[in-house]
Amino acid sequence: MEERLYDLIFIARPATPEDEIKKVISGIEHTCAEKGGKIEKTEHWGTRKLAYRVAKHREGIYVYQQIRTNHAELIAELERRLRVQDVVIKYLTVRLDEDLKRQKKLGGKREQRAARRPRRSAPASVPAPTPAPAPEQTAAAS
Amino acid sequence: MAEEAKQAQSHSGPPRREGGSGGHGGPGGGHGGPRREGGPGGGPGGPGGRPRGKRQYFRKKKVCKFCVEKMDFIDYKRADILSQFVQERGKILPRRMTGVCSRHQRWLGVAIKRARNIALLPFAGRAS
Repeated sequence: MEERLYDLIFIARPATPEDEIKKVISGIEHTCAEKGGKIEKTEHWGTRKLAYRVAKHREGIYVYQQIRTNHAELIAELERRLRVQDVVIKYLTVRLDEDLKRQKKLGGKREQRAARRPRRSAPASVPAPTPAPAPEQTAAAS
Repeated sequence: MAEEAKQAQSHSGPPRREGGSGGHGGPGGGHGGPRREGGPGGGPGGPGGRPRGKRQYFRKKKVCKFCVEKMDFIDYKRADILSQFVQERGKILPRRMTGVCSRHQRWLGVAIKRARNIALLPFAGRAS
């Protein structure tokens, strides 16, 4: 199976001490190591306001991670572990590689088009607009 | 405002010419006088004064913001960008309001829904 890239975001309760969050993250790392996944990056977004109330909290501590893996079971396992943790009030995993693949493809197409365009449009566009408006204007005036 | 100014200009242009060539403008102005004071008379006065009375709509062309920025991927994590395309209560704005092209609107919808799931954007409904 080809490699997949996932986003993992979890929200911890706003009053969680720093080491509790570290514990959650190290738990994720541990599971990744066990199941054959690689954490590409980890970002702490800090305390943010939630758009709606979650578990009676109006704000939460966001942690964002990117995980690359061959095994889809890893994600299922991570979700299971996040669900049972009291500190985590919400989590989200999103598969990203397909979107990124599409982005790459479109980006490549754009470059191709940009490389082709200047040759074709330059001779055609210059003579056409200049004679066309002139007769219209004279007709309107007379 | 720009439309009004344009109409006023084009309106004042042709009557002067007509007044110079024949007595057409005189009686027309006399009859039109009281009507014009009524306010809405100004509207019919425009096309009446101009034989080629075509109402000119001038609407600013809306351009897809994502196409301008050449974005091939709309990140659901950028709540600051996504929030420009939802109402205050979280409804996704229609394309006709924002001018987003159909392809980007599709991606935008997905991104907004993802952002909602992780409480970056509100679900449509009661404002919290």
